[in-house]
Amino acid sequence: MPRKIVQRFQVPFLQVLDEKGKVDPKLDPGLPDEDLVRLYEAMILAREADQRMLRLQRQGRIGTFGPATGQEAASVGPALAMGPRDWLVPSFREMGAMLMRGIPLSTILLYWGGWEEGNVFPEEARTLPIAVILASQVPHAVGLAYAERLRGEDAAVVAFFGDGSTSEGDFHEALNFAAVWKAPVVFVCQNNQWAISTPFEKQTASETIAQKAIAYGMPGIRVDGNDPLATYVAVRDALARARAGEGPTLVEALTYRLMMHTTADDPTRYRSDEQVKPWQRRDPLVRTRLLLEKRKLWDDEREAELRARCKETIDEAVKAYETWKPPRPDVPFDRVYATPPAELEAQRKEFLASLPGADAGKGVD
Amino acid sequence: MFEFKLPDLGEGIHEGEILAWHVSPGDVIEEDAPLLDVETDKAAVTIPSPRGGKVVKIVGKPGDIIEVGQVIAVIDDGSGETVAETPEEEKTPTPAEAPPPAAAEAVAAEAPAPAPPTAATGPARRVAAAPSTRRLARELGVDIRLVPGTGPGGRVTPEDVRRFAEGGAPAPAAPAEEPGEAPAFTGGGRVPFLEVGPLPDFTKWGPVEKEPLRSIRRRVARKMTTSMVVVPHVAHMEDVDVTVLEEFRQRERERGGARLTLLAFVLKAAARTLRDFPMFNASLDPVREEIVYKKFWNIGIAVDSGRGLIVPVIREVDRKSIREISAEIVALAEKARSGKIGVEDLQGGTFTVTNVGPLGGTGMIPTINYPECAILGMGQARPRPVVRDGEIVVRTIMPVTLAFDHRIADGADAARFVNALRRRLEEPISWLLDTP
Repeated sequence: MPRKIVQRFQVPFLQVLDEKGKVDPKLDPGLPDEDLVRLYEAMILAREADQRMLRLQRQGRIGTFGPATGQEAASVGPALAMGPRDWLVPSFREMGAMLMRGIPLSTILLYWGGWEEGNVFPEEARTLPIAVILASQVPHAVGLAYAERLRGEDAAVVAFFGDGSTSEGDFHEALNFAAVWKAPVVFVCQNNQWAISTPFEKQTASETIAQKAIAYGMPGIRVDGNDPLATYVAVRDALARARAGEGPTLVEALTYRLMMHTTADDPTRYRSDEQVKPWQRRDPLVRTRLLLEKRKLWDDEREAELRARCKETIDEAVKAYETWKPPRPDVPFDRVYATPPAELEAQRKEFLASLPGADAGKGVD
Repeated sequence: MFEFKLPDLGEGIHEGEILAWHVSPGDVIEEDAPLLDVETDKAAVTIPSPRGGKVVKIVGKPGDIIEVGQVIAVIDDGSGETVAETPEEEKTPTPAEAPPPAAAEAVAAEAPAPAPPTAATGPARRVAAAPSTRRLARELGVDIRLVPGTGPGGRVTPEDVRRFAEGGAPAPAAPAEEPGEAPAFTGGGRVPFLEVGPLPDFTKWGPVEKEPLRSIRRRVARKMTTSMVVVPHVAHMEDVDVTVLEEFRQRERERGGARLTLLAFVLKAAARTLRDFPMFNASLDPVREEIVYKKFWNIGIAVDSGRGLIVPVIREVDRKSIREISAEIVALAEKARSGKIGVEDLQGGTFTVTNVGPLGGTGMIPTINYPECAILGMGQARPRPVVRDGEIVVRTIMPVTLAFDHRIADGADAARFVNALRRRLEEPISWLLDTP
């Protein structure tokens, strides 16, 4: 019996826009000016909203919230690559992408304010609810992609999750099925290198998340997650593969969680400022602005105007959120089935009867 | 005027300590400018002002504990409404008025159903029960809303339904309390001769230093006061000859095996003995007037965390080996000392052991970890002359004390329990053979 190598693998890495705002001409996707500006504006709005939400939480005006400051490029690049019929399957640090899909900020505030309605998105946004439970959304994304193909639709799915999710069984099951079925789905792992207090090196013995793709029989690529052009290019190419029937791709966007895991977390208890500093220099907003300035698309005046516009948008969203009137208490029953089965309707009745002030005679039990 | 109440800064935070104020009364503050720094059990955070305007009042100074929901600042934001001048004391929620959310839920869930309910006309009570239990109730023709729940959080169990169907537990008589009213033991009752007033001014006699009662210290104070005021404590003491155990541990150590603590053996023996004496694994529910026998054996160990006493719980001691228990003691104690213990590590205990022995002492009277029934104190195991078969010999003797709730158990029960426990510790081989 011979002893031989049956498989070798390589893990590509991609960076298009470096920290100094320089684009590699060989890799430049040649995006039109308005798209470059759109990427930057989306990242600024996401950042400003993030920082505002942090203050709102500290003031007791929204609940627990997971900031995405520093990770904006990992979600806006893929969002730009997506078509209007494609589906976004977010985890919970994809505010940039969600805003680009047309989800109102006030809706996102409702979600973090604890309202079910915060997960009800405009249909044309083609976005699944925010998924806080690790990796729960990844099998859903695969099922969604498979269903779109069965229906003969051209739509593909972009599913987000974090490095912590790659330790969940759901992640592995989802990737396996996606590859076997050649489902039109792109997996984007925002590797921010922290799963709450667990650092990346304690998360996996693999050098990269991207290489996990090999085991399932799909391509994997690691990209600079703080480079919106790299995340755009990787997801654009992956979507093209998906649409061509070539199956899924795993894109690892290597980024860094600059803030706390959520507002209920205190990262100073498990990591030092020294660890965080180098990543502050790699801020995606800084390099994108440098690029825009080089291309004469941006100046201080436009920046001031944008910041003012963002503040106005956010103020309006906060106002809409805070003046929002809670609907009937039984709306959660509306959102599970298109047509609720009799059993669920019975439970709804029982629930309504159990509320203070309800007529007790209507109880079901 | 805008009254700013301390929000829940983490998930289920009950209180916080003021670290610093960024403003003084009279200052004008912009919305989102830093107002104050607060440290909670989870994190130290800066709270930005939710409103812009003139700071009319701030409540508390650095070091003060403030509770979630308490007004901490009043800001004149030009909204016009005036705030009634209320003395600060009245604004400060007392523990009785604002129990921590978990306790509040427990109280609400365990409070007896108000008014004698009937299926047709009674007010609908939210019933927590598994679908299978509901089905059982339907099959037995029982209105599940009338069944008092004894499960966690007042959940109705299948046993509750069966007992109710057999007429074993009639719906509780209409109690005097209004729905949702806190039970009497939150301090509402008056105890004759009890006087708790301000302390004298000690500085008249010498210098003093003051320290705010902070989180763990404060919780210990509450818990111990509750236990001592509510529970009629009795203590039963005995000397246990641990010579055989100590020799075995010594041999294991010399062999270089994992360190086995005496505490691990005591926990195992206690769990085994508790099976035969369920009253010491029970709790008296003063609101429902019933004794709750727990069919699980989770034993808490008192740990000197460096920031005060905490009692992490080792679950299912009855199902674990001595080695497993030993390892868990080490891990939990380390977690406790490094401040990494989670709330879930501290809940669900049914009995507590406090091992003061390594620090010394010929015996102690421990305070029961309310609402458990009993606590076992271990003194120092040391060589002592004892009489065996008419001869004076040197044996390793460990004094133990069982402090217990006399409402649930009597002195004779305690004597029998401690005797059984002593026999297990003195002759460990015989019973350990039959134990998982």
